[in-house]
Amino acid sequence: MFDNAWNNILDWFRDRSERAKLLRSFNESARAAFVAGIAPTLLKASISKGDSAYRHQFSNWLNTGFRIQAFTGRVLAKEELVRIGKVILDDSVLVRRLIVLGWDTLEIHGDAGTYGCRWQLKDFIPLPKFNGDE
Amino acid sequence: MNDTLIQKGVALAGQTVSQEAGNSLFLNWWMWLAFVEFIIIIFLLFKKRVKSEGTAKRRFKKEALGQEVDFDNIIDSSFNSAHLYDELKVKCHPDRFPTDMKKNAIAVGLFQEISKNRNNIKRLLELKEEAIQKLNINQP
Repeated sequence: MFDNAWNNILDWFRDRSERAKLLRSFNESARAAFVAGIAPTLLKASISKGDSAYRHQFSNWLNTGFRIQAFTGRVLAKEELVRIGKVILDDSVLVRRLIVLGWDTLEIHGDAGTYGCRWQLKDFIPLPKFNGDE
Repeated sequence: MNDTLIQKGVALAGQTVSQEAGNSLFLNWWMWLAFVEFIIIIFLLFKKRVKSEGTAKRRFKKEALGQEVDFDNIIDSSFNSAHLYDELKVKCHPDRFPTDMKKNAIAVGLFQEISKNRNNIKRLLELKEEAIQKLNINQP
């Protein structure tokens, strides 16, 4: 029991560090693409509350949403939001990493308006069944 | 008088020496006990680590974290892959090569790959190069 608790503590710190690293890498790439003119819109990733209905076996206790905000200064059309979301969801390596780091919800929205799009991450990758004690 | 003092001194010295020997033996025991505990702790930690690394969930997690994510490609694809996909799906469509069976077969394969990677600009650029070489898609 003590060993399990100790491993969970170590995992928590390790995952926290990996999550911060992933967000930093995404934001740095987005900023570089925006500055170089490759991307017309600046994207910014952050952690959000997420949707508890989308939980899976790797989900965190709190803040399970991976939110991408597009800074366009206008209300984005649904097609534009879906387009960004599809690119993220088509990258199976990124989706798998998001899942194992405890995220279960992908959210895309602009900096104006009140609407955004939301996806359940476990729909996009086959998750094997694990025993409860593992 | 002097003899009594010497005798008392010798007795005291003897007593002190025997006490010191007892203390050092006692300290030695504690040191050995601590050493054995240390070995047990190291063994348990090592055993748990080996065991835990073997579980399926951990293996899945380790594999997922071991793969590299190309964020530059993701950001680039978010804004620029749609245009390239639209261009390639027209230029590489198998119906454009109805008479040349060889080119038609190549176009079928390329078209499938293009559809599969419609949101991956890096792969689409590779496929465009392949299409230019094999299907001469840049010719009017």
